[in-house]
Amino acid sequence: MSTVTEARTEQVVLTPPSRWRGLLRRHLAMPAVLAVVLLGTYLWVRSADLDDIERRSLNADYLLRTVGEHVTLTALTTVLVVAIAGGGGILLTRRSMRWLAPFATGLANIGQATPAIGLLVLLSIFFGIGFSTALIGLVAYSVLPVLQNTIVGINQVDRHLIEAGRGIGMSPFAVLVRIELPLAVPVILAGVRTALVLAVGVATLATFIDAGGLGAMIVTGIKLQRETVLVTGAVLTATLALTLDWLGGVISDLLRPRGLD
Amino acid sequence: MRNRTALTRLVAGSTLVALALSGCSVTTEESGADVSVGKGSIKEDSSLKGQTIVVGSKDFTENIVFGHITMQALTAAGAEVEDKTNIKGSVNVRKALLSGDVDVYWDYTGTAWITYLDHADPIQNSAEQYAAVVKEDKEKNNVVWGAFAPANNTYALAVREEKAEEWNLNTLSDLAAFAKSNPEDATFCLESEFVGRNDGWPGMTKAYGMNVAADSVKVVDTGVVYTETKKGEACNFGEVFTTDGRISHLNLRVLEDDQSFFPIYNPAPTVNGETAASYGSILTILEPIVAKLDDDTLRQLNEKVDVDGEPVAQVVSEWLKAEGFIG
Repeated sequence: MSTVTEARTEQVVLTPPSRWRGLLRRHLAMPAVLAVVLLGTYLWVRSADLDDIERRSLNADYLLRTVGEHVTLTALTTVLVVAIAGGGGILLTRRSMRWLAPFATGLANIGQATPAIGLLVLLSIFFGIGFSTALIGLVAYSVLPVLQNTIVGINQVDRHLIEAGRGIGMSPFAVLVRIELPLAVPVILAGVRTALVLAVGVATLATFIDAGGLGAMIVTGIKLQRETVLVTGAVLTATLALTLDWLGGVISDLLRPRGLD
Repeated sequence: MRNRTALTRLVAGSTLVALALSGCSVTTEESGADVSVGKGSIKEDSSLKGQTIVVGSKDFTENIVFGHITMQALTAAGAEVEDKTNIKGSVNVRKALLSGDVDVYWDYTGTAWITYLDHADPIQNSAEQYAAVVKEDKEKNNVVWGAFAPANNTYALAVREEKAEEWNLNTLSDLAAFAKSNPEDATFCLESEFVGRNDGWPGMTKAYGMNVAADSVKVVDTGVVYTETKKGEACNFGEVFTTDGRISHLNLRVLEDDQSFFPIYNPAPTVNGETAASYGSILTILEPIVAKLDDDTLRQLNEKVDVDGEPVAQVVSEWLKAEGFIG
């Protein structure tokens, strides 16, 4: 199973007046849509007659805390995954290590192939329940797309460019930093975005091992049949996933070498 | 080669024997166990003959056990059954019953009184609680209740036996006092549903005057409650169900609800009004079985599934045979 995510095809801007204006035009739709959805959900919950059970979940304190937990969990996962998979991907594309790549992706595949809830509960048996266990599970779960895309992204860089770089006297390190990585960025970031969206979804399961997050609202909503709680939890989770994906898109645009616009 | 023919013969032979022995069989998706339902004390019922009855259940072991009891009993009476056991979330099963997607499933008197009939205060007497539920549920929702079982599957808090001994804890009042004097040891593993329900954590802490810091409460999945309570690292006290098979297996002590805060949850089969009108005998067939289900019996059945890992269908079938309901 390979999770190579194609970088999105951007519309061709013939005369780029300035980088920022193009960015704005391309990336304004999503925040607008999300704002409308959030506002709609808020107004709907406001108009509903809430009982004790709903009030326990639908108050500012609780919402801020759970969203905060969810964001923290996802953000830390991202940092760790980028470090582990990005670094690993760079190493595995060096000539001396190339033979290791299939083993590494196989290992990363295991993390993805295990059912997420099973992985979390299994880890909690070894490491106890709580935040750090959830983090380990999430990292194991999201490493693969980034690793895979880093390897593919670097390997697809035109060999002639690398040889040209070496030919004008660049060190291997300079070739990596100034040629390979910039050209691989769109593919690598596509992997990061995929991993992030996955992580936000899987992080809802953290509630089963006392690691908080938005999953608690979804579980409460399902078990006690409170639509307001269920929908709020689900909308917040989806909004968070799409926001992060959108951020990834913006960053990807900013990091893209100018010549590729 | 000789071995292979012998093996083939053996397999074919045993299949034939099995076919000859089984009157008819119930296959379930979750257990994969194929159990035979032969003749016992349950008689063929002409009104059920060849009719398809949809059997539902909630999503935890005990209720799935009830679902299988119902399926095998109805099969013995000559009905066809459709397996819709293990539906997520209590209220969703109830909805399916009201809409007619499910003909019969088992619920609990306390759950109906508090969750479906919207009463804040339970009635602390089994028979009175049952009578009140039967009357009101028929009037309001056209749901018909069968006889209720003696078992009471209510909430409880449990602690490792050796710690209960050491800290001298027998009741929830003891626990409330303990939480005051040893706040650092008063740590709890609860599931999210218990935390959210009025007849759960919020009401219990109020009734017993307990003040527990938010970070002493861990919210985990049902199965994790038991393992963590046994381990005693994350929490010393766990929210359990009184008829759960894991209590005795893990050697936990259940603290007595001395203020009678928790509602009474006697299980009973429920059918919707239309099913009751066409197939009234469903509840009559189940009545003698219901009478046999006390706390100990349920705990043993649950333990066989949760601890020994036997398929539900097989556990139920063995028990029904031992009691002579089926052959």
